[in-house]
Amino acid sequence: MEEFSINTKNQENIEILYLNGFLDAHTSVELENCLEKLISEGKYRIIVNFEKLSYISSAGLGVFMAFIETARDNAGDIKLCGMSDKIYNIFDMLGFPILFEIYKEENSAIGKFS
Amino acid sequence: MDSSNKILLASSTKNLSVLRKFIESKAIDFGFDESTIIQIILSVDEACTNIIKHAHKYDENEQIEVETKADKTEFKIILKYKGRGFDPNDLHSPDMKEYFSKYKVGGLGVPIMKKFMNKIEYVHKNSDYNSLTLIKVL
Repeated sequence: MEEFSINTKNQENIEILYLNGFLDAHTSVELENCLEKLISEGKYRIIVNFEKLSYISSAGLGVFMAFIETARDNAGDIKLCGMSDKIYNIFDMLGFPILFEIYKEENSAIGKFS
Repeated sequence: MDSSNKILLASSTKNLSVLRKFIESKAIDFGFDESTIIQIILSVDEACTNIIKHAHKYDENEQIEVETKADKTEFKIILKYKGRGFDPNDLHSPDMKEYFSKYKVGGLGVPIMKKFMNKIEYVHKNSDYNSLTLIKVL
């Protein structure tokens, strides 16, 4: 089975999630649990780094939709960065850049929080 | 490389990775470029996820038969399954501006399929036979 994992770190009071592998209807539960935990702990400043993500389906996209409103209502955000062209094309095709800030570099996303 | 054009999967999201590898192998054989292969894999993943979720309600005792067929210009993926049927052609794609303004969740599988595949055919004979065919033209 293709793997999915999440590594996290805190930098400048921002939670940064590093996604690895394949994000689909099976593995998206792990991301949902991770974001739910952060939000429940009052951590609303979140960056998701896609550099090591190989695949995303709509189940993965839905997880970000489920939490962005709460993050923004609490003066935070979920900013996305490091997408390969193939991942970005899926977000772009559905219009996600209308709602989400998407950056090439993680540092650019960090800078937007300060 | 899998030489067979048909696989039978237990209806579980655990098997989506097996499904994607099967479709990737067949789409490569057919001669699609990398970006088209991703579109096909994603569309079939979305179709099977909908079957697992809505037709089979995550019952892993149910099965999905996945078959690929190819002629000179058309690549077809045929999904056969039992249970409640659903024709993706009956669903209108959402207005994405409204979708984002209302922070909606879900319902993007069918729009992805419609966007990336050239044609979707659905046949429902009875609760024991549904057939969903996704077609991509070379």
